[in-house]
Amino acid sequence: MTRTSLGAPLDRVDGRAKVTGAARYAADNNPAGLAHGYFVLSTIAKGTIRSIDAARASAAPGVLAVYSHANPLRLLPPRSYIAQFIGEPQRAMQDAVVRHYGQIVAMVVAETFEQARDAAALVTVEYDAQPPAADFLAGVPGARDPQTPFGHPVTILADGVPDIDAALAASEVTHTAVYTQPPEHHNPMEPHSAVAMWDGGKLTIHSGSQGPALHALDLAEGLGVPQEDVHVIGPYVGGGFGGKATSWSPTLLAAAAARALRRPVKVVTTREQLFTVTGHRTASHLTVTLGARRDGTLTAVKNLAVTTFEIENPASPPTAAYKCPNLDLRLKVVDLDIPRRTIMRAPGYAAGTFGLECAMDELAHELGLDPIELRMRNYATASPDKGLPYASKHLDECYRVGAERFGWSRRKAEPRSVTDGQWLVGMGMATCVLPSSQHAGAARVRFRANGTVEVACNTADLGTGAMTVLAMAGADRLGLPVGRIRPALGDSTLPVAAEGDSFMGAVGSAATSTILSAVHDAAGEAITALIAHAVSDARSPFHGMDAQDVRYSSGVLEGGGRRAGFGELLTTTGTPGVEAVTTATLGEDTERYAFITSGAHFCEVRVHRLTGEARLSRVTCVVDAGTIVNGKTARGQIAGGVVMSAGQALLEGAYVEPATGRIANANFADYLVPVNADIPAVDVHFLDHPDTRYNPQGARGLGELTGTGVAAAIANAIYNATGTRVRDLPITPDKLLS
Amino acid sequence: MRPYTYAAPGTVREALALAGDGSAYLAGGTTLVDLVKLEVMTPEHVLDITRLPLRGVAVRDGALRIGALERMADVAEHPLVAGPYPVLAEALLRSASPQIRNMATIGGNLLQRTRCGYFRDTASACNKRVPGSGCPALTGENRMHAILGTSDACAATHPSDLAVALVALDASVHLASRDGERSVKLADFYLLPGGTPEKENALRPGELITSVSVPALAWAERSTYVKVRDRSSYEFALTSAAVALDLRDGVVRAARVAAGGVGTRPWRLPAVEAALTGAPAREDAFEAAAAKAADGARPLAHNAFKPELLRRTVVRALLELAGRS
Repeated sequence: MTRTSLGAPLDRVDGRAKVTGAARYAADNNPAGLAHGYFVLSTIAKGTIRSIDAARASAAPGVLAVYSHANPLRLLPPRSYIAQFIGEPQRAMQDAVVRHYGQIVAMVVAETFEQARDAAALVTVEYDAQPPAADFLAGVPGARDPQTPFGHPVTILADGVPDIDAALAASEVTHTAVYTQPPEHHNPMEPHSAVAMWDGGKLTIHSGSQGPALHALDLAEGLGVPQEDVHVIGPYVGGGFGGKATSWSPTLLAAAAARALRRPVKVVTTREQLFTVTGHRTASHLTVTLGARRDGTLTAVKNLAVTTFEIENPASPPTAAYKCPNLDLRLKVVDLDIPRRTIMRAPGYAAGTFGLECAMDELAHELGLDPIELRMRNYATASPDKGLPYASKHLDECYRVGAERFGWSRRKAEPRSVTDGQWLVGMGMATCVLPSSQHAGAARVRFRANGTVEVACNTADLGTGAMTVLAMAGADRLGLPVGRIRPALGDSTLPVAAEGDSFMGAVGSAATSTILSAVHDAAGEAITALIAHAVSDARSPFHGMDAQDVRYSSGVLEGGGRRAGFGELLTTTGTPGVEAVTTATLGEDTERYAFITSGAHFCEVRVHRLTGEARLSRVTCVVDAGTIVNGKTARGQIAGGVVMSAGQALLEGAYVEPATGRIANANFADYLVPVNADIPAVDVHFLDHPDTRYNPQGARGLGELTGTGVAAAIANAIYNATGTRVRDLPITPDKLLS
Repeated sequence: MRPYTYAAPGTVREALALAGDGSAYLAGGTTLVDLVKLEVMTPEHVLDITRLPLRGVAVRDGALRIGALERMADVAEHPLVAGPYPVLAEALLRSASPQIRNMATIGGNLLQRTRCGYFRDTASACNKRVPGSGCPALTGENRMHAILGTSDACAATHPSDLAVALVALDASVHLASRDGERSVKLADFYLLPGGTPEKENALRPGELITSVSVPALAWAERSTYVKVRDRSSYEFALTSAAVALDLRDGVVRAARVAAGGVGTRPWRLPAVEAALTGAPAREDAFEAAAAKAADGARPLAHNAFKPELLRRTVVRALLELAGRS
């Protein structure tokens, strides 16, 4: 089979549609009779609603309905494990209880968006308020043990070592420090939005999600209808980052309101509302203790992470990072009356690698070792927790190539050694790691009489380029140019595997490897079906031949001296299409091997010696993610992760008022994300070593990879520039005034 | 948003005749439209003044005069501004984003409202928005808030960069009302919050800014606007300094220094100016002068860093100017 496209830096197949505005995102749909919903949010964090006065709002121009717990849109609680743990255990407006500031307490539906918004301002709510628990740091000392399997402690001890403290006591040197970061918000460019319409008992809803099948399941559960009666459409998604992995009340309320009013309803959450009506990344407080020999060999790692969310565990990265005989990694949880937490790009690893990779830098400095040398002395060739050898890990090459590209040898180990005018210049590096995941996904491949092939998979393109990868996967397996493939995703009616996690869609950096395996298998079966059709249909030139004597190559069937393209064949036989739907069989040998995506980040920062602004001036990322399927979209993922992590390092953080539970900066003027001026050119280099024990194409996921390590590399560079070690993100100028 | 009437007068006289209780002038709209959508401002009548002939950048009798309706972007690039008054051009270019600078006007810039999050959130108390309702910023989130000129009623920072530069240059605003025309020094135009933070400036009801004038200052060619902020662009100042230096033979003959991001109004620093006068252009002398920059500061829980950052910002601006040939 000729390799036609895998690995090529292809333009996005939907790029033109996106930049011209032709791509229809959820909120771009305006069906006839559309009404608009707008939410009223709670202005207390804990208590009960005493009364809601909707009279003035109900009488306002264009208002169709005002819903609240007193006039409810009834929703059933989510049953799925996933929704309960990473989403909302309680749907909005089902009772009078206020659980956090900015909770949806009423919904106004009107003829226009402006009418709904303006009427919502007329709803008055009276509360019986109680003082909320909203101070995360105050809760850290009394944090509780987690109650779910996700937060189980990891304890690995060498023979004869009674506990981790004994291992640390026996270490020649130890380093202990606390690393903290505030809550972060996904803030995808496209806010959560939905356009819902019913036809009889069947719901069609335009809504961008990371997994249309899971989204449909959530909606069906909430609305009390069979899952097959819910059709989620969302081919274009303006960013997810985990925030659209599960379903949130705005979407369910849009569907419920459309059902009650018997007309289509659109809901678009505002940027401000997004901070509280959907989930966010937990704050974290991570105590890292490293024990080592004087030569830098790690002897023990003890991590205690405290968060507000049992799923996101910053203690966990040592299970994937370095060789170490003794590990003790624990999570504790603080319960707060704040908006829901959910998964966000590289959950656990984002905050966890900030702590671990800063701690490694600090240890290297204490021991007088180059930070790369310290990492090489603890290089893991086997998974630290599973003990299995990595099937393909080239992190050592990442360090080497990255150091060369970046010019690491010019780094001065002594902080505050390099200046450029009034600016202190520093270099830092860090490892990025993310255990690989892929799902046994289903795909449908359909040869069509018009000479194109539909390749469909029940996943989503969050802006990552998944649509393009889907087309490339089909083109590669079928030996066709990408232009003859019609990729389809973002639709809950597409095939989904009966078992496993693939219905969750684009999560865990698993989409690309899931797509590749599923399309690989489905395309193989579709070829078999095409040949079977060719030899069995009486109108076919191959009719009557033995299937074994007909070969498929690059869209053409050949055998017995006869030859026909599949379009020509299907046209001749009067058949619109021949298809196969299969669920992939995952080939990875998890009994014998471990799989990991890793890389090395190198950053240069400039910090003004007087006023402390830290500005990123150079970045190099060298990544070992196996086969790179599309060099262009993969580069976008890596560079995009650097941008997001630069925000984590230097700018981002929600400030929750301890006394009120209100997020003081719940808007884009006060919650800062990077702008173009904050980001230099990002040098991305892929090693491209296929990990063929993982899947036939050798590709591992990389979407979340640069959610790890970058913040530490920046913090390490700032230390190198200034001699000031900041362990509390974000690193704003006020923290560098010493 | 509450419903309002809209009119677009063609002359200043007509605009003044239409202005009254509950009216608001609309120019670039970059403040008003935002705040109307948030219902922080609820005008009953919006008077679109963009057709008024309040434009032009010119030098008259030695003074630079800028029409109130000139756009920020245009003024920043104007040769009568960029060359003789770099501090003005830099203050403008370090404000907002290109999109906003293409819309926002000079008069509107001077009247922009504070970025205090409690002021902008109608669910919060705010003495500026609802007099007497209280000030949650004093005990709440106050990292970006003022340290100078605050009161027990308000610590909202004045957000304009341009105003800081203009105050340093002794600029005046020219006003028109039905009672006639008058001029007010910009330094006197802004009011301290005291017990009436809702009253932010000397404008009388219906009064309109028609232009801004900057007196001649030959040595303003050596001036700069240093803006320290968390993000490289599109962000308000943590601290800023507008500085002009008359520097001859390594000695400061005269200086103009004003600070932003720290005051409830643009904050001229006469004590720093006096300390600089006659001082050698050296870092230690600059430090000694800048030590007075935050005199009288009353930091809050989250902005305790601002006095030190302000002193350093002033030193940085002075060093940048001293380093210019």
